[in-house]
Amino acid sequence: MLRRVANWVEAVVGVAFLLTVILLFTNQPAKPPDAPAAVVEAAGGIDGAAIFGARCAGCHGGDGSGGIGPRLAGGRVVQQFPDAADQIAVVTSGRTAMPSFAAKLTEDEIAAVVEYTRTILAGG
Amino acid sequence: MSDGRNDAVSGGPSPAVTFGGAAAVGALVAVAAGVYGRLHDPASETTIKWVFTSTLHFKAWMTTLALLLAIGQVIGGLWMFGKLPIGSAPTWVGPAHRIAGSLALLASLPVAYHCLWSLGFNPDPGGSRRFWHSVFGCLFYGTFATKVMAVRSRRMPGWALPVVGGLLFTVLVLIWLTSSLWFFREIGTGI
Repeated sequence: MLRRVANWVEAVVGVAFLLTVILLFTNQPAKPPDAPAAVVEAAGGIDGAAIFGARCAGCHGGDGSGGIGPRLAGGRVVQQFPDAADQIAVVTSGRTAMPSFAAKLTEDEIAAVVEYTRTILAGG
Repeated sequence: MSDGRNDAVSGGPSPAVTFGGAAAVGALVAVAAGVYGRLHDPASETTIKWVFTSTLHFKAWMTTLALLLAIGQVIGGLWMFGKLPIGSAPTWVGPAHRIAGSLALLASLPVAYHCLWSLGFNPDPGGSRRFWHSVFGCLFYGTFATKVMAVRSRRMPGWALPVVGGLLFTVLVLIWLTSSLWFFREIGTGI
């Protein structure tokens, strides 16, 4: 009886393994909204959306809806940091589980990604 | 009339060659996982989180579940090989050992999926935890492939199954140390 259960479980896991491999190649990610050209230009040509996708989305979600890190989208980050300088300080120096990006991004890049989260990602 | 399986055992490649082939397939699987993780554009998205707070909470606990099942599997394996001082293993230990191993692999799949699809392979040894976690993750599936072949083949050397099984368990422990333990210490043990 238990041997048959083992056979059945192995078959199910085999199918799950194949489905996982298929998903790896077929699932298309939802990219964060692009920053309009005017926003990129205002940020000195630095694309905050691209930085967000590369550096932030892993924890805060591709659309900023949150993950291990808190939700940023929909204006939440503006509520938490009415002053952008406070948000820039957290991104620069880190806080609790949030790592410091001082050695990974320039001041201008941090400013651009912060601006992106406060405008485009906020829906504003 | 002869038994075809026994004929195959007596007339094929040597056990060492068979093990070498299985190890080569495992190496290919590990490299393939690493190449995918390196070349695939990381989606940087959360995936499944089930009843957990976040995908990373889910991953930390699923990896822990896989480790606990693997510990049960190691105990079952030792019992079957007569390495426990509690007598010979009852007949249910073999199927239970298989079920525990299968469920451990099942628990690992959504974790590996998020690692590969959303985060990718971290090639920077300077970011040591993520680098080694990436290496161990790829090794896990390669070693698993070798172990499946070691279990299925009747040509393997006698030492192959316990050695590969022990290596697989060791790699899983290293994965847990570089992911779940880190997460529990940095973020907490909440779900």
